[in-house]
Amino acid sequence: MQNLTRRSLLSLICAAPLALPGRLFAQDAPIKLRDLYNRDMSFSDIALAHEGLRITIAGFMAPPLKAESDFFVLTKMPMAVCPFCEPGTPWPDDILAVYTKRIVNVVPFNVPLETTGVLDLGEYVDPELGFYSEVRLTDAVYGRA
Amino acid sequence: MKTSFLAIGAAIAASGAAAQDLPQASSDWFTAGQATIEARLALEPNTNRARNVILLNADGNGVGTNYALRLFAGQQAGGLGDDHVLPHETFAHMALVKTYTTNGQTPDSAPTASAMLTGVKSRNTMINVSENVAVGDCANLPGNELTTLSQIADDMGKSVGIVSTARITHATPAAAYAVTANRNWEDDSALPEDCTTQADIAAQLVDGMESGLIDLAMGGGRRHFVPAGTVSEEGNEGTRTDGRNLIEEMEALGAQYVWNDETFGALTELGNAPIIGLFQDSHMMYEHDRTDEPSLAEMTAAAITALSTNEEGYFLSIEGGRVDHANHAGNLHRVLTDGVAFAEAVQMAIDMTDDSDTLIIVTADHEHAIAFNGYCGRGSDITGLCMGIDNEGVENTGEPNLGSDGKPYTVAGYLNGAGSVLIEQEDGTYSGERPDVTNEEAMDPDYLQQALVPMSSETHSGTDVAAYAHGPYAHLLGGTIEQNVIFHVMHHAMTAE
Repeated sequence: MQNLTRRSLLSLICAAPLALPGRLFAQDAPIKLRDLYNRDMSFSDIALAHEGLRITIAGFMAPPLKAESDFFVLTKMPMAVCPFCEPGTPWPDDILAVYTKRIVNVVPFNVPLETTGVLDLGEYVDPELGFYSEVRLTDAVYGRA
Repeated sequence: MKTSFLAIGAAIAASGAAAQDLPQASSDWFTAGQATIEARLALEPNTNRARNVILLNADGNGVGTNYALRLFAGQQAGGLGDDHVLPHETFAHMALVKTYTTNGQTPDSAPTASAMLTGVKSRNTMINVSENVAVGDCANLPGNELTTLSQIADDMGKSVGIVSTARITHATPAAAYAVTANRNWEDDSALPEDCTTQADIAAQLVDGMESGLIDLAMGGGRRHFVPAGTVSEEGNEGTRTDGRNLIEEMEALGAQYVWNDETFGALTELGNAPIIGLFQDSHMMYEHDRTDEPSLAEMTAAAITALSTNEEGYFLSIEGGRVDHANHAGNLHRVLTDGVAFAEAVQMAIDMTDDSDTLIIVTADHEHAIAFNGYCGRGSDITGLCMGIDNEGVENTGEPNLGSDGKPYTVAGYLNGAGSVLIEQEDGTYSGERPDVTNEEAMDPDYLQQALVPMSSETHSGTDVAAYAHGPYAHLLGGTIEQNVIFHVMHHAMTAE
């Protein structure tokens, strides 16, 4: 289940409107991570319209903070780590915290993913990791795009 | 046939046939070429002493990246791109620059900035330290500190300013005020406990402001000036472990401190240096994403306005720091949008100064592992696909060229980096194939150009960069030079009798 095929992921996407009739229109394509934010880093209309709904977001898995976790960070671009520009590597502002249904099976940082989960907005500090996030996908599954 | 060509050639030579008699003489290319020669014949060396010197360095903007920038800027302006002229490309004098260091065929930004600021090459990772010291060897630092152009300018009574879109403690801006055996010692938390012969880089900036060496500094890197446990303006903690709040220390020295668009805009007494601007906890934003912080051109304008109040003149180091970072990420769109922002800063510097008394040098510290495909028709988007050449027209055919794998390819790519087409498999091996990309996908601002060698970060390369000059003694730049010669051009211009 951790490595969803594209087909099984798509079936999940298709099932979502049935689960929430009248609230969610079928996605033609995964939402781009950057489309969740406005330029000033406030939540976009797209984010606000999908709050609490099960949606699919395109992005990349940042190298995990911890092994055997049900958490990873989705980035809009591969999280390149540059030894000359980023000692201490701060997170970019426009990231998405993903809480998965199952223990994360790590995918290389530069493989495009489609991640489906319930969109949760608002400040949250992970009690275990101390990770601060403003937007999350919970109960999430993911697979290679 | 060969004989008749030779005969014609001999006849032209013998008669001294004027260029305008040639059949191609009415071509616009021909007349423009003649105009270029006329302009160069009319050039006269500017031997005024340079009251002001501005060094503009687009980090990572080597000859290849600058080529991409030229096309991007031209295409953004609605043209085909290749015939576009960037502001620095209007300068009459330039040189190719060899960027290797004493131990690196491929340099990093520390010894390259050091070479330009001290006049000698040195080891990778170190700033303004002679090559007699090993990286991180604090014990041998005393006696091996090099004197910088900033110090020379300061001794001449000039003001000194630094502007960067990177952290102000990052290698290029740091070279204007710091001496360090390791570029990563940006605050005391990174400085080894037993290293007592130098302060961390941020602390050296405060020392520079206190001594009067530095009059203006604007960039990112706020976290290195604020103690751990103390939350600064944008809600994040600092990283210093010595408890010092260097921003408060600089304010106590009389510095005006600005940290966002609003406070930057409220800088009213620009002549009342010192000024410290720290607009992000780490690097300033890419131009593509920039919000609530000034552009590089706006910081350049503020710096020139402030420093110009010194009648003795100034030395100003300006860095477009994130051209480099976007190259490291393999994301050409942000390379080029930051490159355009750099070009706008160059134009700002040209517009605000007089070439009779101000030497402007525009260069890069090093190139990247960027490379370009062919054969692309004109107007192929520089971030997009390489389109076919139209044998009957000018602009490309609109049909992408294909590799032997039947897939299109982009104009630009990288030899290594996060965009590698070789992907790590579950068994740890790397394999893959080139994705089939459309022009629209390739031109997406978040697209990573395809690369070969898999790496988490694309690398620099040792390829030459160019240096363009305008103003007093600009004509000293020419040929293919070592990077440290740039110091000697600026020094000569500043001190010429």
